[in-house]
Amino acid sequence: MITVFFEPEGTSISLPRCTTVLQLLHQTGRKPGRALVIRNGELLTPDRRLTPGDSIILRDVGSRG
Amino acid sequence: MKCTRCRAEAAVALPSHHSAFCPECFLLFCRRMVERAIHDHAMCTSEDRVLVALSGGKDSLSLAWLLKELGYTIAGLHIDLGIPGASPVARRITESFCSRHGIPLSVLEMEPLGLGMVEVRQRIRRPICSVCGQTKRYFFNRFALDNGFTVLATGHNLDDETSRLLANLLRWDTAFLADQGPVLSAQEGFVRKIKPLYRLSEFETANLSFLLGIETASAPCPYSAKATFPVYKALLADLEDRQPGRKLQFYEGFLKHGRQHFAAQGKTPLSFCRRCGSPTSTEICGVCRLREMMGAPAEVMIAISSPAVLRTQDVSGSAEKE
Ligand code: SF4
Ligand SMILES: [Zn+2]
Ligand SMILES: [Zn+2]
Repeated sequence: MITVFFEPEGTSISLPRCTTVLQLLHQTGRKPGRALVIRNGELLTPDRRLTPGDSIILRDVGSRG
Repeated sequence: MKCTRCRAEAAVALPSHHSAFCPECFLLFCRRMVERAIHDHAMCTSEDRVLVALSGGKDSLSLAWLLKELGYTIAGLHIDLGIPGASPVARRITESFCSRHGIPLSVLEMEPLGLGMVEVRQRIRRPICSVCGQTKRYFFNRFALDNGFTVLATGHNLDDETSRLLANLLRWDTAFLADQGPVLSAQEGFVRKIKPLYRLSEFETANLSFLLGIETASAPCPYSAKATFPVYKALLADLEDRQPGRKLQFYEGFLKHGRQHFAAQGKTPLSFCRRCGSPTSTEICGVCRLREMMGAPAEVMIAISSPAVLRTQDVSGSAEKE
């Protein structure tokens, strides 16, 4: 199970079957290059593998200037 | 994915540049993109005093950091719009960032000038963002001129610039097309304006600001739903997915081949405002008219550096100016 925290919304969900960042982006309706994927303060590229229990921040790249 | 430069684990993948970078090399990439923008367009030199317009957002704060890193003489100006919730957060983020990085900062408060955006919004019929934008541009320019800055730098990124370009093209707005670009030269009453981040996308500045530890505002402006160009941004983002690098090519192509054809058109001859002396196409400028409408007292009309509304923060903390 992967826990995803959405920013700026402040909501969260759990994803049962998700093993890469790319899958996480697809399952949450995002595209690479439109959101930052952060695990333990580290930025992840789409090819990175996720492990059950991971806690991920998904920060949408908006136009907040 | 490995860093294109040093083969360490990559943190940022950039298909637009056929690259991926580790955090250190990504910072270097951002520096180089800004250096190139400044160099290609002769934006500023080490002789210039650069005022950076700081909204408290990721782009303007990243820009201040980059310019300082590159050795330019900079100071920041933050305009406190007096919007409950949003303005105090934006101001706190700006103040703490500047004090952390040793960037001299001035804060100009709109409320004491009779231009708090909540009251303005209640009184005017135009969209608030257009009035707010006009007011900010006016005070950034006035502040720069009145305080001996030679250049005003803003944090517009590639997505801001390309979405605006597409919108202007779809309307064939020749006056705006003539003026669009990363540099607007100084003219009487206008300081030179530069956009050193124009080669960096919003995704790139978001990654940069994350790596710099810039806090993201938890309270965005409540009026921002009406902000401009989101449709064009989305269209260009879809295009970029299919054709990586297209946005930058589109913009650079316009600068190289397109802009010159609009340059001579659509210029309204400028005169100077009878109240404040700022350039305007009418007798009294938009901001002076707004202040009159808001019933702002006449004697503060030009007193933008009055001690009641201007605070400067020195590197070590905060101190009242004069
Ligand atoms: S969203 Fe509109 S009103 Fe709010 S700060 Fe931006 S320009 Fe001003
Ligand atoms: Zn590297
Ligand atoms: Zn005026």
